[in-house]
Amino acid sequence: MSHATSTHPVLDPLFAPPFPQAALPMLRNPQLRKNVGHAIDVIQAKRAKLVVEKTDWQQLRSTGSAIRAHALENLGAYLEEFETRCTAAGGTVHWAADAAEARQIILDLLRKENAGEVIKIKTMTSAEIQLNPFLQAAGVNVFETDLAEIILQLGEEEPSHIVVPALHINRSQVREIFARSMGLKDLSDDPHALTAAARTYLRQKFLTIPTAISGANFLIAETGGVAVVESEGNGRMCLTLPRTMITLAGIEKVVPRFQDLEVMLQVLARSATGERMNPYTSLWTGVTPGDGPQRFHVVLLDNGRSSILTRPKQRQTLKCIRCAACMNACPVYRQTGGHAYGSVYPGPIGAILTPQLMQMHHAQSLPFASSLCGACYEVCPVKINIPEVLLELRAQVVNQERSQFARFVDPMYLGLRIANLLFAKAWSFHAAQFMGRIGLRFFTRKDGWIHSLPSIGAKWTQTRDLRGLPSQTFHGWWAARGPKSSKEAK
Amino acid sequence: MSAPVQSRQRILDRIRTATLSVAKDASQLADVYAALPRDYIRRGKLSAEARLALMIERLREYDAEVVESTPAALPASIAARLALSGKHTFVVPHGLPAEWLAAGFDWKIDHELTTAEIEQAEGVVTAAFCGVADSGTIVLHHSPAEGRRVLTLLPDWHLCILRASQVVETLPEYFNRCQQPPALATYISGPSATADIEMTRIKGVHGPRFLHVILVRDQGARPTMN
Amino acid sequence: MRASLFITCYNDTLFPETGRAVVSLLEKLGVELDFHPKQTCCGQMHANTGFRGEAFSQAKRLVRLYQDAETVVVPSSSCVAMIRDQYPGLMDELGSDALRKDFAALLPRVYELSEFLIDRLGVEDVGAWFPHRVTYHASCHGVRALHLGDRPYRLLAKVRGLELATLPNVDRCCGFGGTFSVKNAEVSSAMLAVKLQDVVSTGAEYCTALDNSCLMHLGGAMHRQYAGMKTIHMAQILASTEASPAEANL
Repeated sequence: MSHATSTHPVLDPLFAPPFPQAALPMLRNPQLRKNVGHAIDVIQAKRAKLVVEKTDWQQLRSTGSAIRAHALENLGAYLEEFETRCTAAGGTVHWAADAAEARQIILDLLRKENAGEVIKIKTMTSAEIQLNPFLQAAGVNVFETDLAEIILQLGEEEPSHIVVPALHINRSQVREIFARSMGLKDLSDDPHALTAAARTYLRQKFLTIPTAISGANFLIAETGGVAVVESEGNGRMCLTLPRTMITLAGIEKVVPRFQDLEVMLQVLARSATGERMNPYTSLWTGVTPGDGPQRFHVVLLDNGRSSILTRPKQRQTLKCIRCAACMNACPVYRQTGGHAYGSVYPGPIGAILTPQLMQMHHAQSLPFASSLCGACYEVCPVKINIPEVLLELRAQVVNQERSQFARFVDPMYLGLRIANLLFAKAWSFHAAQFMGRIGLRFFTRKDGWIHSLPSIGAKWTQTRDLRGLPSQTFHGWWAARGPKSSKEAK
Repeated sequence: MSAPVQSRQRILDRIRTATLSVAKDASQLADVYAALPRDYIRRGKLSAEARLALMIERLREYDAEVVESTPAALPASIAARLALSGKHTFVVPHGLPAEWLAAGFDWKIDHELTTAEIEQAEGVVTAAFCGVADSGTIVLHHSPAEGRRVLTLLPDWHLCILRASQVVETLPEYFNRCQQPPALATYISGPSATADIEMTRIKGVHGPRFLHVILVRDQGARPTMN
Repeated sequence: MRASLFITCYNDTLFPETGRAVVSLLEKLGVELDFHPKQTCCGQMHANTGFRGEAFSQAKRLVRLYQDAETVVVPSSSCVAMIRDQYPGLMDELGSDALRKDFAALLPRVYELSEFLIDRLGVEDVGAWFPHRVTYHASCHGVRALHLGDRPYRLLAKVRGLELATLPNVDRCCGFGGTFSVKNAEVSSAMLAVKLQDVVSTGAEYCTALDNSCLMHLGGAMHRQYAGMKTIHMAQILASTEASPAEANL
């Protein structure tokens, strides 16, 4: 198999196929499942060791959760404080209500700079607003500088994880991509050689391109400062060398005080990469004469986030600090990888964030892409109760269905509505059990097991047998045994 | 109202409406913030000796080379380290103590050096603001003795002079030392690294591949904040 | 000690032998068990699939049914998790003040089977005999919702003749997830395939758990694939004695 995905994945929730369908080619891809499993195992093992070592881990999670929840509850005040301080420090703050506006603001800024090229630090927010294709179409050459992002950009691939976006691509595929686009025919597939090729490819760009675009891990209200957390150093390059910096950040990224980083940084690195601290964290405030970009813009992005603030049980979605611990822990993600989620935000956080950003008009299959095992909640450094939000969103999707025609023909919907009626009374429940037993007799083989069922039942029997309904229910047995006798209790 | 102002207002209005029942007004906000639970470790328990030992261990874990020195022996230690490196041309921040500029090397003092000049240097020597032992983190606040951010970014070799009195055990203790938040900061906890290709850890993508630390035992000296 | 047995809709229909084992076990331990004949379902399937109003109507019915029970025992961790984790939200959203009060009074009296044995009866050795190699699958609800901890292991440790084989990746979801097993059947099957590898690798004859939902899913695949293993609910192991061995009921 020469290419990781058999079809080019669609990471646009407007067009992506529903999760069960999107997952199929992934499940049939042994290399993907192996790559994903391996990446997850590496990070999980490292994280587990550090969590045990960090004796105040649960207290850090509690405070991390409290800080993020507090910031969201008072988001207006903190955003305004950030804007005031950042502006006082020489930055310019822009507000983008949606993706289109954010793209246009950024393009207008680039045009003012006469920027035909721009270097970028990895930011999932820019992928969310589909910035790169927009800029390219407008004649701006965008150069990703994060190794994974370079691989994806040059290979015309899509990210499948928010911290290790190219984890579904193996070294020989990277070699092929680099050899082709960098003109390096004799390039080996050794990761050291590949990384060295990327380093050389980027060096001149860092030193000559005067305009950069970044995201932000945290916006600090108290100071107007921005923090970027990274491993490779391409962030430091983009944040230090250019003349103009444009930082794109979701409005939910704000924390109240500089001191809050003492909690956030401790939980972020351990959760994201299984390290006590990531190699490089950069903090800057507005413009510092003589050091770094002299023109600094922050583009604050709403794009559906403010609608998520409304309901308390859902507001917690925005606490996310993009560590990806949830998807590393997720047994579903482990088998499907990220592309199945049809969004730049995959995994458990994607399953709740993406449909909500779409205001529940799209990606309605995502809240159901979970077995509700709870592993994500267990590892989330800011205690987002993802299963709780999944259940909220499922209820919203079903409520939508209640007024749609599908409700008359969807066997799952009908089945559940009928089941509810049957459960309301013991006699109807018992009658249904009786009818079920009779009906299923047709499908029950001599060994007492069912091998094949029609309709939605086929979804079970395509890979599992089902033991035939016993001839006597428990309640029937209880009623039949009469007054209690421990000798007969068998 | 112009479009940008409209969006700002629209977003803030949406936020205000959404958080109406939970947002605090200005007078209460600080109090509510102050009441957030902080039961995590705020101060370490290690002795000064153990703390330094931990800092050294963590630095060495990520292949930084560490030697110890004293305030009196520091210039000689620096000279020795530079000689061992086999390098000749170094950039330094303009506020670096003059006595650290050992004889026999080509010192490019950063009075607005160009990027090309910094690129040509073989190494950089700086002071630091703080060291966090728990994670082996070196904190730079880019003061005159620590230098502009580009100085510790482009050269491949970085010698950092860290005083023992600057070393704290935990990250919260570093934040506690900041009398006010720094405008600029870089936290270094390892050489640049990536695991993007098959989770194989590769070091030194961008930024110095070689970090050397001289830990100065200034035990008599008091730390700037406790 | 009196207790009321909530058998759960799926055990009643599909796994009555689990119920019979619970009765045999608890009565042997001196519990005076009753069984409310009007019980049906706790509403979990509906709640988890997004049918909240429907789930509430079942929850309300259950609370009314058991409001006078001294203790309620449930041989299913997912159903207990439903009552503990989701009923409060349903009650707040859709219930009356009176119902909320009754629910609050009932909640502490609801026990999953292993909780009942260890926390209420204070027993670990129930006098069981099951001379087989067994591996224990820790259902997600038991681990993360109920925090059962080592209770199941303490019970299994006292079963004479039982050889416990450690299950690798014991905390990893088997992929059942209720309606997920049908709505996302292929992903569920992929998770099942991986889980089954771990289960079969233990060389055990039986895979046990405190939830027949997981066991139905695992057992269904074992049967389809002639895997040489069977599933058995822990109640049936605990009720198994020389005089009345569990296999007679399988």
